[in-house]
Amino acid sequence: MSGGFERRDFLKVLGVTGAGAAVTGCRTEEVERLIPYVTPPEEITPGVATWYASTCGECASGCGVRVRTREGRAVMVEGNPDHPVSAGGLCSRGVSALQGLYNADRIAAPLRAGADGFEAIGWEEAIELLASRLGSGGRSIFLTGRKGPTESGLLDGFVEAVGGRRVVHDALDDAALRTAVNIAFGVNALPRYDIGAARFLVSFGADFLETWLSPVKFAADFARMHGVENGEKGRFVFVGPRLSLTGQNADEWIPARAGAETAVALAVAGELVRRGGDAGPYNDAVSGYGLEDAAEAAGVEAEALSALADHFAEGDALALGPGLAGNHQAATAANLAVLILNSAAGSLGSTLHIDAAPDAEASSYGDLAGAIAQMRAGNYGVAVVSGTNPAYTLPPAAGFGDAFGAVPFKVAFATTMDETAAMADLVLPDAHPLESWGDSRPAPGTYAVRQPAMRPVPLFDSRPMADVLLDSGQRLGHDFGAATFRDYLRGAFDRWLADEGMRAGLAGDPNRLWRTALRTGSVSHVDLSDKVTALQPPVTAVDFDAPGVPGAGQNGEGELTLLVYPSSRFGDGTHANRPWLQELPDPVSKVMWHSWVEMNPATAERLGLRQGDVVTLATAEGSVEVPVWAYPGIREDVVAIAMGGGHTDYGQFANGNGVNPMGLLPAAMDGDSGALSLLAGGATITATGAWQRLVTNEGSSDQDDRNVTPAVALSALGHAEEEEHAEGGHGQLRELQEMGGFQPVDTEGRAEDFPLPGSDFGAYSEDHPRWAMAMDLDKCTGCSACITACQAENNIPWVHENQAAIGREMHWLRLERYYETVDASHSGPVDIRFMPMLCQHCNNAPCEPVCPVFAAYHTPDGLNAQAYNRCVGTRYCANNCPYKVRVFNWYRYTQDPSDGGNIPEPMNWQFNPDVTVRNNGVMEKCTFCVQRIREAQNRAAVEGREVRDGEIHTACQSVCPADVITFGNIKDHDSRVAALAGDERTYRVLDALINTQPAVHYLKKVTHHDVEEAGH
Amino acid sequence: MAAVDVTNRGALPNPDVGTYEEVNRDILKVLGRPGKGWWMLFGIAAAGVGLFLACWFWQIYKGIGVSGLNAPVGWGVYITTFVFWVGIAHSGTLISAILFLFRAPWRQAIYRASEAMTVFAVMTAGLFPLIHVGRVWHAYWLIPYPNDRFLWPNFRSPLVWDVFAITTYFTVSAVFFYLGTIPDLAAARDHARGLRKRFYQVISLGWRGTDREWHHFSKAYIYLAALATPLVLSVHSVVSWDFAMAIVPGWHTTIFAPYFVAGAIFSGVALVITLAVPMRKFFGLEKYLTVKHFEAMAKLCMLTSAIVLYAYMTEYFLAWYSGEPPERGSFWNRVFGHYWWANWIMLTCNGLVPLMLWFRRVRRSISALFVISIFINIGMWFERYVIIVTSLSHEYEPWAWGLYRPSIVEMGILIGSFCWFGFWFLLFTRLLPPVAIAEMKEVVPPPMRGKETES
Repeated sequence: MSGGFERRDFLKVLGVTGAGAAVTGCRTEEVERLIPYVTPPEEITPGVATWYASTCGECASGCGVRVRTREGRAVMVEGNPDHPVSAGGLCSRGVSALQGLYNADRIAAPLRAGADGFEAIGWEEAIELLASRLGSGGRSIFLTGRKGPTESGLLDGFVEAVGGRRVVHDALDDAALRTAVNIAFGVNALPRYDIGAARFLVSFGADFLETWLSPVKFAADFARMHGVENGEKGRFVFVGPRLSLTGQNADEWIPARAGAETAVALAVAGELVRRGGDAGPYNDAVSGYGLEDAAEAAGVEAEALSALADHFAEGDALALGPGLAGNHQAATAANLAVLILNSAAGSLGSTLHIDAAPDAEASSYGDLAGAIAQMRAGNYGVAVVSGTNPAYTLPPAAGFGDAFGAVPFKVAFATTMDETAAMADLVLPDAHPLESWGDSRPAPGTYAVRQPAMRPVPLFDSRPMADVLLDSGQRLGHDFGAATFRDYLRGAFDRWLADEGMRAGLAGDPNRLWRTALRTGSVSHVDLSDKVTALQPPVTAVDFDAPGVPGAGQNGEGELTLLVYPSSRFGDGTHANRPWLQELPDPVSKVMWHSWVEMNPATAERLGLRQGDVVTLATAEGSVEVPVWAYPGIREDVVAIAMGGGHTDYGQFANGNGVNPMGLLPAAMDGDSGALSLLAGGATITATGAWQRLVTNEGSSDQDDRNVTPAVALSALGHAEEEEHAEGGHGQLRELQEMGGFQPVDTEGRAEDFPLPGSDFGAYSEDHPRWAMAMDLDKCTGCSACITACQAENNIPWVHENQAAIGREMHWLRLERYYETVDASHSGPVDIRFMPMLCQHCNNAPCEPVCPVFAAYHTPDGLNAQAYNRCVGTRYCANNCPYKVRVFNWYRYTQDPSDGGNIPEPMNWQFNPDVTVRNNGVMEKCTFCVQRIREAQNRAAVEGREVRDGEIHTACQSVCPADVITFGNIKDHDSRVAALAGDERTYRVLDALINTQPAVHYLKKVTHHDVEEAGH
Repeated sequence: MAAVDVTNRGALPNPDVGTYEEVNRDILKVLGRPGKGWWMLFGIAAAGVGLFLACWFWQIYKGIGVSGLNAPVGWGVYITTFVFWVGIAHSGTLISAILFLFRAPWRQAIYRASEAMTVFAVMTAGLFPLIHVGRVWHAYWLIPYPNDRFLWPNFRSPLVWDVFAITTYFTVSAVFFYLGTIPDLAAARDHARGLRKRFYQVISLGWRGTDREWHHFSKAYIYLAALATPLVLSVHSVVSWDFAMAIVPGWHTTIFAPYFVAGAIFSGVALVITLAVPMRKFFGLEKYLTVKHFEAMAKLCMLTSAIVLYAYMTEYFLAWYSGEPPERGSFWNRVFGHYWWANWIMLTCNGLVPLMLWFRRVRRSISALFVISIFINIGMWFERYVIIVTSLSHEYEPWAWGLYRPSIVEMGILIGSFCWFGFWFLLFTRLLPPVAIAEMKEVVPPPMRGKETES
């Protein structure tokens, strides 16, 4: 055997090849070096989250947030339940603050404009430059967004000290409402709406669930008002040309012509006055308005308006609006008309309160227009911009670009580059709200603090603007009493306590109260006494009959009215550079990543257009090319387009996505308030011949007889037995069941039902809880905050437009929106149903038996789990999932772009360390936030107790403003989820058909009108 | 009908062939020096294999996302093609094993080619589950093997059944194919020279043609034919259960197993015709592959086409009769929805075009059969496409309905799979006798003293 292959040689070869295979097989498990803390920071326990209460800085509403940090990094933002206003809810934009914090496009160092673009300079040099220019560069103008009260005070003081003028500009501020309140009540403040106390609610176009004033608070109030309780439920009527998401939640829609709110509101007020209502000094004015004329002007039925008056007359009513969407050139008159209507309906003091502290942070386009003229005239030597982006949010016709460009020295404080900052001579990287101090006064008598949740992201050498101002102020010899803004804020808090809080009974040591504020997010004393309870004689005369909407031919040749509305995802475009929001299906259109123009299907048919046809939308001011989205919830004479698209200089996720509709608007404003008109008349639409597939997750908005989201009429509540009989399946199935055939397992959520018969294949256990969820569809407003929260919590990547276009978005939770009744041709009931669809964690899960490798399996506590490491990627489970809630990693989405992924450094810093980051080729899905369940179980085990009901909040639940979602152990008889599972409205999707026994229990929407259920 | 002497072990007597030598000469001639045409075809096939591998490696490198698959259509061209090739693989065993057991009088001439087709089709089909999965480097987890973590595959999953069904079928049909070739390989060995002779010497396993060898050979052949027969039914039944066991509307139906088996035979026989026609022409085998053989295959097509058409109609009827909106919606969508064209291609190619086979003239026209068989191939591919793609695109949840369009990579792999199959088949025509020499000799009148065979 001398020349043969010996056993030892064989083993050697085997060993070497085996080792080689093992080494190459370990490709996905990178070896990283771990560096231990030498001196551990005091507040950080590795593996344990630290929470900071703070105030959201994403819009001016100032909701309370809790920021979850791990090892010194913010990883999640949730609503703060202790906050007196937002009460635990949050919106998608609020959650997306994390992507502002870690945005890959953040400015890394101060930039000075040079001959070949910007060059990075040091902070010392930058502040020196700023101070010298402010000191000797001529008069300065400060253009800022709405800031917190203390920062605003500092700004005003600073502006005064250096000699200049400050103009506040926030494209989403309702200036017309402020002016109208001022005229009606003589108060410079916003009214406080108590939607929760109303039984009848009318919105004249205000999108109070999306962007208007304080949408998170309103959503919570609306859920209280509109969610069914004890067989009662408020009624909500939407008046306006286009159903926004808010309008989609209405019970009834009066599709009034754009600009007809004034006539409708005054006519209804007049009718109420005739019936004995009181509109104070306006009694005479409104009596001239009749329902018939108003109906004529609005293009709706007079009966609908008189029914409106009937409801108002019943009391506990509230009228809102008209809001920003559809602001026209007589917006103040419209707002005033609605306030008069409220007065005539007796809402003042019951659902509408004027009790807020004067709010100086008003802003209007009118003020800015004046500043633009002065800038153009060369009256300013220095312009400072912060927190506002007029180069993008104003119509080009306003001439901001030229005027701003004419200022010799321009400074921008910005976290990321934007269209305005790009024109600046000096760009100073601002700190993100999650890294900086601030405050807000969200309600009368409430002081809410914003504190940094982490030290500034070290990749970006940023400084909070307020600190930079204090620093440069010192160099210029101005003393503001503090070296840092934190100290300044602390002083301001003491002053607030002395001025307001202590006087009103907020007692205690200021230091202790400050610590309370830091711990809980706010301190407050209840001070809800109405300051004004009746309309005041008008100080300024308002012409109610002035036409607000430009007629045909005025802004263009066409017949259509163009309506530009704030996006519930991007606001005025500020949030456009966030991939979570770009890939969040718009709550109304469900379109992602690009813009669309909404038009009624009848209009589209008349113009010979199909969904997705790219059209040229033109007004006298300009034109854009945008695909058509046919929407039954918009009047035939109106087309609408959302703000927020078409950025040119805002970052990799925003630039080039969609179009900016501001270019279609004339620089026209409401004469009384200076609010920018968001309407253009005479718009034309011409087909370009091109077509594009809309990037949407909407398969069909028609339930197609499947009864996925059944509803129940309010009058039918309490007759559950008959209802069930009528619904228990179609005739043949019932026949079969009567003969002992197919019997769906009757879960009904009773604790003793578990484990369920037929589900004995899953590893169920008697000793474990059975986690379950209940979703009250009567409360769900479709706001989609849950989707973004889920994405943030569970490290769900975004996939970009080209992937989303072919149905590869990775959301574990989607919001389905089915049209039942929507008709723009006349007034009548609206029935649009929302359904958050996530993994149903079926007891009898169809995905589990088909997986060849047990990657899909059942945990003893009933969760339908997915073992990513075991997944081979056959996608059989996704095929067999009747709810289609499983998503697949088609590429290395979660990796860095250099590795073929989508998530650039440092956006991956946001990853939740408790959740596996999935890689190429594996299936994933909702886990019921199993990491939160385990955390709660571990905590309970350490404390030697059981997990309490309500202790576990899933991520979606933790932001839901409307309290739709309840999570808990359904085997526990006393749990909330068990109670809800037994509710008469409860049903489980498709359970009667395919016996999946889902753990998600939906509570049917309740309608005021009768429900005809198709199918079954 | 021509008078047939059925006493001759069921073989169709062939008047054109005179002697055993002639058989040897005619058939082994094929194994000679390949012509330009062959090299050209082989070149195309080899290039296609290159394309196939390039697409596959690209997909492994980038991710399965280079396909057009998405949610809700998680299975598409890959699984369609997988089922298509598994179906193709049926005719071989059917013709060689079942028809052998039933002594069908026409199988001798074509069974070698169709058996080869079977083996190569399974070799092609078997690649597709690997191409399809997201992490092919972990695909071996579907095989039960002892491991220190006691992890086993899920024996309830039809995909695991597939693993067993396909590997069993491949093993048995490969062995059956090889066994049947041995006497012919010996004949080839006796004719060949040089390196080729060495090759045949090794693979003919020293066959000498003794009585004892023939005796054992026949026994083994019958035994394997009996073993392979149930597999014809089981393999495609198991493949059909991939669908029938799922709850997808349009998949979840008990008719699937017989329906798929009939469809498999249908497509398999059609591909045999498609391949036999040019083979007959290029290799001058007109004497061996006669019109009678083709007519018999055409009749088999007629039968299976009728079964398949019946199955389609049953599906539509039951969808309507069930009264379930998802079930009805699924079939409505199939016929009138976004993929209506695929469905109508399927119905036309599988149901309408084969109706022409009812005419005897069509059945006996080689060129007509060739064209019809190509229609059937296309139709049967689309049948699987329709079942898989349209059903998945239109399931229970209306909101989750979606569309799917195959990507360039998928088309590359689809085309490449035909080339991969052609690659092996072309090699087969040059290396192994494409018509069974030994069995053809049973057709030839035995050399008897001074007597001529009757016609």
